[in-house]
Amino acid sequence: MALNLKLHTQPEVPLEADCICPDKLQSLENNEISSLILFHGNRQVQLGDFFDCNGTFDGEIVIDGDLSNVKHIGATMSFGKITVEGNVGLHAGAAMRGGEITIEGSSSGWLGPEMIGGRITVKGDAGHMTGSGYRGSEIGMQGGEIIVHGNVKNETGHAMRRGLIVVGGNSGDFTGVNMHAGTIIILGQMGMRTGAGMKRGSIISFNQAALLPTFSRNCEYHPSFIKFYFKYLEEIGFKIDPSHLNSTFERWSGDSIELNRGEILLSMSKK
Amino acid sequence: MANENENIKIVENATCTFCGCVCDDMELHVDLNEKRITKAKNACVLGRAWFAEHTIEDAPAAMIDGEEVSVDEAIEEAAQTLVNAKFPITYGLSDTTCEAQRQAVAISDYIKGNIDTTTSVCHGPSGLAFQGVGESTSTLGEVKNRADLVIYWGGNPAESHPRHFGRYAVTPKGMFTPNGKKDRTVVLVDVRKTKSAPVADIFIKPIPGKDFEVLWALRALVKGSKLSSNIEEETGVPLETLSDLAERMKNCRFGVLFFGMGLTMTRGRHFNSGALLALATDLNEYTHFVAKPVRGHGNVTGADNVVSWQTGYPFGVNFSRGYPRFNPGEFTTVDTLSNGDADAALIIASDPGSNFPKKAIEHLKNIPVITLDTKNTDTTKLSHVAFRTATYGINTTGTVYRMDDVPITLRSAFDSPFPDDETILTSIKKRVHELVLAKHYAGGASGEAKVAAINPL
Repeated sequence: MALNLKLHTQPEVPLEADCICPDKLQSLENNEISSLILFHGNRQVQLGDFFDCNGTFDGEIVIDGDLSNVKHIGATMSFGKITVEGNVGLHAGAAMRGGEITIEGSSSGWLGPEMIGGRITVKGDAGHMTGSGYRGSEIGMQGGEIIVHGNVKNETGHAMRRGLIVVGGNSGDFTGVNMHAGTIIILGQMGMRTGAGMKRGSIISFNQAALLPTFSRNCEYHPSFIKFYFKYLEEIGFKIDPSHLNSTFERWSGDSIELNRGEILLSMSKK
Repeated sequence: MANENENIKIVENATCTFCGCVCDDMELHVDLNEKRITKAKNACVLGRAWFAEHTIEDAPAAMIDGEEVSVDEAIEEAAQTLVNAKFPITYGLSDTTCEAQRQAVAISDYIKGNIDTTTSVCHGPSGLAFQGVGESTSTLGEVKNRADLVIYWGGNPAESHPRHFGRYAVTPKGMFTPNGKKDRTVVLVDVRKTKSAPVADIFIKPIPGKDFEVLWALRALVKGSKLSSNIEEETGVPLETLSDLAERMKNCRFGVLFFGMGLTMTRGRHFNSGALLALATDLNEYTHFVAKPVRGHGNVTGADNVVSWQTGYPFGVNFSRGYPRFNPGEFTTVDTLSNGDADAALIIASDPGSNFPKKAIEHLKNIPVITLDTKNTDTTKLSHVAFRTATYGINTTGTVYRMDDVPITLRSAFDSPFPDDETILTSIKKRVHELVLAKHYAGGASGEAKVAAINPL
């Protein structure tokens, strides 16, 4: 049986709830869970001051309520499952190492920054810096998967080194900026300056995009591995337009200012 | 040195704190009877206006909800408000002395609040870029004595920093530039032809919003990387022009890139600044090249320095967990107000009530605001507690930092009946410290003994 947390009082100022993490709840009784410390602005409060705690923790936590003003849910988690039945605030799944977070609503910025493993699924939209590094950090996401069914904003996959980011809608500017490696798939449109400063890695889009002058067009081809990705995307709930299945892709390489080993694949089916 | 002649006092080598140039060669003529500056020799048009408009107004030194109160009462109310808040923010600081800024950081630390400066709405993106890319830097003195290639990018110093050309970068004769402008090549990159354009030997006009692409293309040319052939169509700048500029940059003796808010506050922001800083770094493979932001407010550079050496970060710093955390976009003031996070605000020498986004101003109207300002502003009008303070560099001494991080000592021209920012903030800090300790040792007395026992910051 899952542990159910229901938000009974909306926080007046941001609530930092990094204790809502399977690693920190395992082996605790419900009264101990209710006594865990959160930060309500600059005040230390108890989890029970804001959440009703029911059920038994068996590796799964279900959180009910609008958590737009609750930050750091699932940060550093390494196992188990968290389901948020609404929106979630900043830094959800930050530095996550394993397990699964499912957000039924939308997420604010810094979704899964510097994550190492596990999977985050967002049914709605996500904010800026999805799967990125924090300011001053040279490395972003290092593993795992971030699946966003809606749109994302700027700097998705900033400095990512490994892992997979899939966006069902559009992405903002600087998608995959300073990327070291890994894969980003954008089913919608991408904003400006995609892949700026990327060293390696793949950015795949079903639409055309304006690329920087430091990217060069290599060829048009049918990459065989794309079909495996399409199959996987359908398995995790995306509907792929059949016209893309045998689509030709334009391959661009860059960024020539860096190693020039990155690739951007743009579907030509809508050209 | 100050000479007194009946009611006229002359202050030599005074400092103008209107803009980041912080020119320290002013000769001020002060009418001591009327308490105003009648002449500011060597000042530019902006400096003359700055000195002329700061006179002594007949206004209460402190108000609570629009009613005149004593300064002590206002300090008590301000301290109580800040200590009782769960997410108090401190903002402004760029038009006050480093000594006052230091007190503001200490207050934010005690109340476990958020501290941010006007940097976050001007060169904040450059601050992020410095952290991400690094900064090849120099003083303006080095520029004056050595630079033979001066590039202004996204700025209009002829109108925003009128003495920048004459005092530091274009016309002054330096040790290795004895013929002044004849020894220099000046380049201006801007999306429109401003009043700075006639000074430039080369004017480059990119398509608005394409600075990043132009900088990226220059980096590619400097590095000898491939560049797509449609660069002119994309950026509005012909490949020949870019190639010529890249060659000039590689072959100069000492080059400098001055950049303004035309670069930092257009689409791409910190990546635009980062691209320019990376270009300067790339050029150091060939010659000596530096990059400097052209800062606006008189001591905004001091704010960056003070907040950095006290917290480790230049702006957008949060203490709510007892230690400093830096995250622009989360802890910068426009965000903490627009998201409705802040529940009290201490605004020092700034007027966000007139220039912030509507959503942020609306939130500011709904929380208790404490202001310190030399004038009545839109922000002081919505304040719960308002202090009228003396003007730095005119009524007070202190330290400010020029845009090249050089500290300069201020000279006072005439006295003000109002206390200065440092005095007010020191008093608030002391009272805040007492209240925090009293709360911490619940049941204790006034906390004064403990204050004495523990050295305040």
